[in-house]
This record gives sequence, C-alpha cells and structure tokens, in this order.
Amino acid sequence: MVDLENLRTIAKETISREDVKYFIGWREGTYGFSVSPHFVREPAEADKLIFSPLCSNNLATYLTLAEKLPVPRGQEPDTRKVALMVKGCDSRAVVQLLVERGIEREQVVVIGCPCQGVIDTKKVEQLLGQPENVVRARWEKGKIICQLPDGEKEFIKEEVLAQKCLKCRYPNPVIYDILFGEKVEPWCQEEDFQEVKEIEGLTLQERWDYWQEKFSSCIRCYSCRNVCPLCYCEDCILDRLNPTWINRSVNISENTAFQLSRAFHLAGRCIECGECERVCPVNIPLMKLNKKLSKAVKEMFDFEPGLDPEAKPLQASYRPDDKEDFIL
Amino acid sequence: MSEKFEPNIVAFLCNWCSYAGADLAGTSRIQYPANLKIIRVMCTGRVNPLFIVNAFQQGADGVLVSGCHPGDCHYMEGNYYARRRFSLIRELLEYIGIDPRRIHMSWVSASEGAKWKDVVEKVVAEAREAGPFDQFRRNKINW
Amino acid sequence: MNSKPKIGVYVCHCGINISKTVDVDAVTEYASQLPGVKVARNYSYMCSDPGQLLIKEDIKKQGLNRVVVASCSPRMHELTFRKALAEAGLNPYYLEMANLREQCSWVHADREEATAKAKKIVASAVAKVRLLEPLEEKEVEVEPATLIIGGGIAGIQAALDIANAGYKVFLVEKTPSLGGKMSKLDKTFPTLDCSACILTPKMVDVASHPNIELMTYSQVEEVTGYVGNFQVKVRKKARFVDVDKCTGCGICGEECRLAGRIPNEFDEGMGKRGAIYLPFPQAVPAKYTIDPERCLFLTRGKCGKSPKCVDACPAGAIDFEQKDEIVEFKVGAIIVATGYDVFDATRKPEYGYGQYKNVLTALELERLVSASGPTGGQVVLGEGESAFVPKEIAFIQCVGSRDKSVGNEYCSRVCCMYTAKLAHLVKEKIPEANVRVYYMDVRAFGKGFEEFYDRVRREGVRYIRGNPSEAFKRGDKLVIKAEDTLTAKTLEDEVDLVVLSVGLEPRKDAREIIDLLRLSQSADKFYLEAHPKLAPVDTATDGVYLAGCAQGPKDIPDTVAQAKGAASSALILLSSGKVKVQAQVSSVDEATCRGCGYCVEICPYGAIELVTVNRFGHKVTVARVNEALCKGCGACAAGCLSGSIQQKSFKDSQILPQIAALGVKQ
Repeated sequence: MVDLENLRTIAKETISREDVKYFIGWREGTYGFSVSPHFVREPAEADKLIFSPLCSNNLATYLTLAEKLPVPRGQEPDTRKVALMVKGCDSRAVVQLLVERGIEREQVVVIGCPCQGVIDTKKVEQLLGQPENVVRARWEKGKIICQLPDGEKEFIKEEVLAQKCLKCRYPNPVIYDILFGEKVEPWCQEEDFQEVKEIEGLTLQERWDYWQEKFSSCIRCYSCRNVCPLCYCEDCILDRLNPTWINRSVNISENTAFQLSRAFHLAGRCIECGECERVCPVNIPLMKLNKKLSKAVKEMFDFEPGLDPEAKPLQASYRPDDKEDFIL
Repeated sequence: MSEKFEPNIVAFLCNWCSYAGADLAGTSRIQYPANLKIIRVMCTGRVNPLFIVNAFQQGADGVLVSGCHPGDCHYMEGNYYARRRFSLIRELLEYIGIDPRRIHMSWVSASEGAKWKDVVEKVVAEAREAGPFDQFRRNKINW
Repeated sequence: MNSKPKIGVYVCHCGINISKTVDVDAVTEYASQLPGVKVARNYSYMCSDPGQLLIKEDIKKQGLNRVVVASCSPRMHELTFRKALAEAGLNPYYLEMANLREQCSWVHADREEATAKAKKIVASAVAKVRLLEPLEEKEVEVEPATLIIGGGIAGIQAALDIANAGYKVFLVEKTPSLGGKMSKLDKTFPTLDCSACILTPKMVDVASHPNIELMTYSQVEEVTGYVGNFQVKVRKKARFVDVDKCTGCGICGEECRLAGRIPNEFDEGMGKRGAIYLPFPQAVPAKYTIDPERCLFLTRGKCGKSPKCVDACPAGAIDFEQKDEIVEFKVGAIIVATGYDVFDATRKPEYGYGQYKNVLTALELERLVSASGPTGGQVVLGEGESAFVPKEIAFIQCVGSRDKSVGNEYCSRVCCMYTAKLAHLVKEKIPEANVRVYYMDVRAFGKGFEEFYDRVRREGVRYIRGNPSEAFKRGDKLVIKAEDTLTAKTLEDEVDLVVLSVGLEPRKDAREIIDLLRLSQSADKFYLEAHPKLAPVDTATDGVYLAGCAQGPKDIPDTVAQAKGAASSALILLSSGKVKVQAQVSSVDEATCRGCGYCVEICPYGAIELVTVNRFGHKVTVARVNEALCKGCGACAAGCLSGSIQQKSFKDSQILPQIAALGVKQ
C-alpha cells in the first residue's frame, strides 16, 4: 500500500527546508490516464501528491529542462536544491546525469520511490475494448486495481504493465536521499532483449521494411527528444542549420536519419525509462531501437549506464581490447 | 555511365596512417578501383559516426573508415575511440536493415600500400554485391 | 570574417603524372562551373615557381580569397602552397588540396574513370574550401636542449655535433657503457681501420664534453609535451657503485666471488666476467656496475661474511643501498638512435646454431678475431686439450635476411661486406685456412666495397653461389649441404667452423620507444621516417628524429651520415628558437557547450579543461581548450553530442559539404 500521508509529510518537510527550491512529484491529471507533474513550492501544495501505477512520467527530465532565465543585474541566481521523486528507472537517469555533469549531486534531493511497475494505458484500453477513463489506480499483491467511472476493475499485473516494467531489474531507486515506501523484490533477474532478438532474426530486407514503415509515420514532433531526461543540449545538433545534419522536411530519409541520430546519441546513455516511446503520438517502437544499442553496449562492452555515478561515459572511454572482429 | 552498377564509396582516412598508406599505394603505382573517394581527417577519432549516416543520405552506397592499427595512433588513442563508436553505429545501421557490406572499418598503416588496395577492392566488391542504395537518399525522395 | 568566396582552382599536370590518366582540361572546365569558383586553370607543374606565381597573381589581380590546388598529396605540398598563399597576402589556411596524383592518376589506368573521380575530388575540395576559416599560427619557444636515446655510434655522433654547436644534450644509454655494437667490432670494412681506435676517442669526448650530460645504465621512462617542449623522465638504474668514488681500478672485479663465472655480454657470452664488472676495457664511463640479477649479496642477501667487493674497494665506492633515481628535464628535440638487434640464429635451426658449438655467428667470430676478445685475437675453437685452429671455414650468407620464412624480407646491407672483412681477417690469422662463402648475391654497392670484395677473392676466399639447405655434424666435422647454382652441382662440404652471417633486426624492445614517442614502424618493423626520400631522418612526430639502424639496417658511414643529418635537423629547430604550434586546434562554442566533460575525458593530451563561466547571471560549466597542448586530432569533436567543440579546418560544417559533394551520383 502506498502511504500517501507519509509522502505528503516528506514533501512538506522537504519543501520547508531553506535550501530547497521546489519539490517535483506527480498529481492526478484532469483527464483519465493523465497524471501530471506537480511542482510543489508551498507545503499546502503537497497534499495533491500521489504515487500510483499511473505515474509513468520520468520527472528527472525537469532537472535539465528548467529554463535558466537571465538573472537581473544585482541579483543572485537561485541555486537552491530541487527535490525530485524518482522510480527505479528514473533514478538511473539521475545517475547518468551525474556522470555527464548535467546536474551536480548537491543540487538535488532525491526522493526514491520503490516501484511495482506502471501501467501501459494502451494495454488497458485494449483489454477493455474501448477508451476508458481510469481515474486512479493502485497496486495490490500482483494485481493492479483501476478505478473506472463505473467502479473498480482488477487486472493481473503482467497484463497491463508497461513493456519496460516487465523486464525491469531496477524497481528500487539506485540513488536516493530519502526513501519513500519499502523496497520491493525485483521480479526480473536478467534482461533477455527478446523484442530486439525478434527483429535481429528478420532478414535485412524485412528489417528495413519494418523500420521504414515505422519511420515513415514519424511526424518529427520531437516529443521523443524533448521528454528524454538525457536529451538536454542547449542547442540540439538536429535543430541546427549550420551545419545542417538533418533537413527540416518530413520525409522518410530525414526521418530515418533523425531517428538514427537520436538513438545513437543515447548509445551507452539510455537508461530505458521508455518515455520516448510512451509519448510518441504515432506509436513508433522507439525502445526497440534504444534497446538494440543497450544490448550491443552490454554485449560488446559489458556496460550498463545509470548505475554508477563514478563510471566513465561509454563513448568517452575505450578499452584497448575492445571487440574488433569487424575490422578489415 | 556504363550499365553496370558502380558503387559510390565515401571513405574517411586518418592523415598519418591510412591516408599515407593510400599515398604509398599511389607512389607504388598499385592499381585499384576508382569507386572510392577519400575525405582526409587528421585522426579516425575525428570521424563522427553520424558522418556515416549522412554519407548514406547523400548518396553513398558504402562507407569506409580507416585508421592506424591499435597502438599506432599518431594521437595515441583516437583509433580506439573511433573503433568503439564505429562498432555501435554499425550495429544500429545493420539493425534497421542497412546491409553491413556497406559499412566498413579498416586498419591500414602508412607502409601498407598493398593492404590499402586489398581493402578498397573488398569494400567496393561488397558494396557492389549489396547493390545500389537509393532508398535512403535525400534527393531521391519526393514526399 | 568570411567574405563571399572567390575560389581559384588550379589543376596540376605534374608533368604527365596526372595528365596521362586524368583529363586535366575536363577537370578544369568542370571546376570552373562549381559554385563560388572564379578562376580555374591547369598548369604543367603547380609546385614550380611559375606555377605558384600563377596562384599569387590571381589572388592579387582577381581578388581570390580561397584556393584549391588539385595536384599531389597534401602530405607532399600542402606547406608549399600555404606559403604561396601567405606570400600573396592570403591566410594560408584558405587552402584545400585535391589529391589527384597519389590517390587518383597513379592508382587508376582508365582515363574516363580517373577523370570522373578527379572531378569529384575537386568538387569535394571546393565544397570544403568555401567554408574554411582563417587560422592563426602561434609560436612557442623551443627548449634549447636535445635528448638522444642510444649511445652507439649514431647517438655519439649526434650528441657531439649538437654539443659542439653549443646546445645542451642529454644522452641516455641503456647499458653501463657507451659504444653500442660498433665497440664490439675488430676492424671495419672496407678500409680495415680498427674500430676501437676510431670509436674510443669519440666516447671519451662525449663523457668529457661540457654540453653533454651522459646517463648510462639509464632508460627513458616518460615523454610528454610536444615539439620544442618535451618533458622527459629518465630512470637512472642503481649501479650499486658510487660513480663519483669509483676510479675504475678493477680490484673489485678480480675479487668478486663470481669473477670469471658469468658470460660477458660484450664478448657475445664467450668471455667471462664477475657480478661486478666493467663491460669492456675501453668502457665509458670507466665505472663498475653490479649485476643485480647475479650478485650473491643482492640476490641472496649474503656473500660470505661480507661482500668481497666492499672489502676490496680502496675508494669505498660500493653502495648496496643505492636506489634507482628518476631524473626529469626539458628538451626541445629528441633523437632516437636505439640501434638494432642481431638476428637470433636459433630461428634457423637447419644451421645447427646453439646445437653444435662450432657454429658461430659473425659477431662471435668478430670477438674471436679481436685483440680485446676472449682469446686475445686468436681464432681458436674449443678449450684446453681439445683446442684447435680451424682450417676449413664456411660462411653462410643471408641468415635472417632476405628470408620470408623468418619474416625478414629486407637485405641487412652489411653482411656481405662484414663477411668479406672477416674472411680476410681469418686468412690473415690462419694463412693456410680454406675459406668459403655460400651466398645468394654479393651486394658490394658502397664506396670501396667492390674493390675490397675483389681483393678478398684474390686472397683466395672462395665464393659459392647457393644457400646451404643445412649444416649437420659428421664425426668431428660439420657438413654443409648446398647446391652450387652456377654449376648445378650438389655439394657436401666438410668444415671445421661454420659462421652464420646474421642479419640486423629491429630491437626486441622497439615497442617501448613507439609507445613513448608515438612513432610508426615500416613493414620491416624498423622505425618509419616521415618520408622515404625527402624526410629520411624526420618522423611523424614533430621534433623527433631518427639516426642509425633504428630506422633500418645500415653500415657505419651511413649511420654517421644519418646521425649528422638528425643532429642538423634538431639544430635547425633549436637555433630558430621558436616553433609554430598546430593551428588546426579545437575550440569550444561556450554558448552551447553543456559542460558534460566528454571531451575532457577523450582528449589524449589533457588539453581540455572544464571552467565555470557566467551565462546570463548563472554559473555554468563549459569546456575550454589549451591551444598549446592541443595536437589537433579532433577526437573531442566527434565525441561531442552538441557539436559544441569543433576542430578548426575539420569542422562538421566543413566536412558535411565534402560528404555531400562525394555522394552525388554522376
């Protein structure tokens, strides 16, 4: 059971600290399935905080998204800490941000939230056979209870969990200052990259056709990039005109190059929170791209990002004996 | 142009080893196919893997990155970074269905003029087998 | 900064080197149509004075602000044309070269294909040159000192030349004495002058020269920095002898409990020494050294009641407490004169070396004929009762040279002549001896070589054309099986002594210097010079030069000549006092840098650091490049996710148009 009273107490105490600027958590949205990020600046606002199977959003993205407005002359910038609620996967984004100095450790108060998996709303809709307005949801012993307009409905966890959660090995935060709730037993020991292997098993032409079909639907809304906690360059090279890496036009060539570039820039950095795929309005299976690189990184370099804040970034390091059987 | 498909290869060579090796092939008058054109960089470490993606978009049928043998890099480590980056982009490109016969990396030293020829022949032959790669070309696509 | 590009394209015929296979008129015509091109011309030799003048005139009269020279490799003439641009008042980095010779006309025979490719190469250069930016060449001071690695004749000569010119030299030698391989030789071909007589005075000069700091029994451990400013760390190994006190009297060597029991390296293991020793009588410095691997006291902690050397030394110079010492200093130039290894004849087991005691290498015979050798210059085999003077003597040539089976395709260049010399010396000492030389070809190419070879043959040395297939034992004799390829006769010659004319090989520890100085190796694994013809003593690392057999097999005159060349190259650098540093360095756009530090991790030279800057009132971290340390590899640029760090002249914005130009299908 999620002890919301406890959560709100933690939040109130945290936001009352002099060195904390604001507290980022989740609150109920205004429409079914939609949970909103909640920025708590006053203790009273803490009462809206929730933690439920609907809390998909990786809030770590707000650490780097925060706009740094020009500081008026004679004033000092607000350098107080940001408090942040993180699930296991989200916490790995925090670690990766520390590795690449996107944030500094003393800038954040990490509220670690052991997580039993979040809902993939598309799966629920499929099971119900129609769009539904899930107002609330909660975990209960291997089940997820959803509150629908006409009463509660029970689902078996595995049926409705997001794909990333089924294979989650880090349900507990890997870094935190305050732990909210009790740690959970991981239900998956090893990532088998099944969905990647399925694609790898196809012929070249089948793979090309598969991805071309997916990429052809891309509308280049850049949601995948914008939601990603690790895509935080001030000036993304994919937006630049000088030089132009990717043309503005939306066509299969540019879409393909865009998606390849985005995925490649996350190689050895993606912590598999699945936010890009969740927010994609045209349902491109982006995690199948990201996971391919995770698999390659694991197999070739025995590396997993977002676990050790002291680790060297994968692409800014090498080993003399790195695999090279492909070299002529 | 003849009817036979002639693959267009873009190659990125480091100044100190592979470019010098290609120069040596010239000095030694070693003959090899004309399909491959070279872009000189100071070190393979300079080769951004997205250059490879870009080359395919711009019309290349194959790409080669060639540098110093491990341990011989003029800048000590550049080829190690290049190798790691290349191995990742190669995995990714193959995964989305780009024929690996279009994507090559080699070590050619300043003294390996003969090896340079072998590398070019292999890269050209493999790209020829893989056939024209127009599906990813920027200017071929009208919508 | 970047005014509208007015590009001049200059296509070179290179005599007929380019124009034979590339239609230079067609390429010129094509180039003239490319965007931004104002002038396109072709000329027989662009690198000639009139060729360069063509460019300079156009820059001045036509107002060109970018130049493409489509000729040979930039590795050949980039500097030439940069200079031409500068002389015409244009920034030298507004130049791009299109390599139409080494990478086009020389490697393709089909005129149509070669011309089509040449057009693309030119298009790519034009695409890039439009976007090039002017760069500033900065200068740094040169530390007026030179490090020389290796104290053989090459290192000695280079050290003396530089020191005599008035510059400081640090000469580092791995073994306890100067002298190298030359000190082991008895006479030198073809003049037969005594090796020690010409070498020893030079060794003494080195030791006494006020400008030379000699470090024997020492090793270079670390070299950092760059041309003009190398920081060097040298490990002076503990000799366990205080060199300030040791007078070289030699009493310790006689008293040592192991005296006469350890094979002496100087005599190729044929003579014996003690655990405390002087490598050879003329050694410089004439200071004793304790062999830490053999000394009883150092290996077992005990040597009788007390070590005999300690008791015997009248100067009290023995110091078992001595430790290795690390010395650090700065130099502007480095000369690598590390020499060679003699081919290990056990790798040709068919000749029985190591198996039969009367099979010697030429260097072992050299020690036997030397007056300072283990036999006092007598060619005597065996010991005591069984000692005898060989009468039938056979030399086998090309052992470990010109032999793919051992991985050495090259000719060692000295064996033919040292064999002639040794054959002569043997004949001199044993007039009745029957000396045969089994050879593939005799290469007597140097000054006085052919004449000497003739003389030796006149003295009765028989040359048999044919490489023996094996040497084996029959009774007391060795049998050589060979085919005389001139008469097609199969031979089985019984001899007393077989001498293997072993070749020269790269040192087994060659790798250490490569790692230290970023040198390259040629196919034969000797160190690679910057250009085989025009830069034979330079290396790919600025400020590092080669001398002697480290670069490839050569005889003493060639070694000395190259050492003088290396010394002169170093002196050019030192006496100019300033050196231009890399202009094509990386730079950071601090407005977009996200301060992730990837570039800092990647940079092999520690040239990038993170600094805190003020961005609209916020403190942010960004990368910053130290241009004096940056060597311009660009590895940082490829690793930067935001494209904020870029290498000048190799920016993304300059390379992407090149890719586009090459990608176009014709």
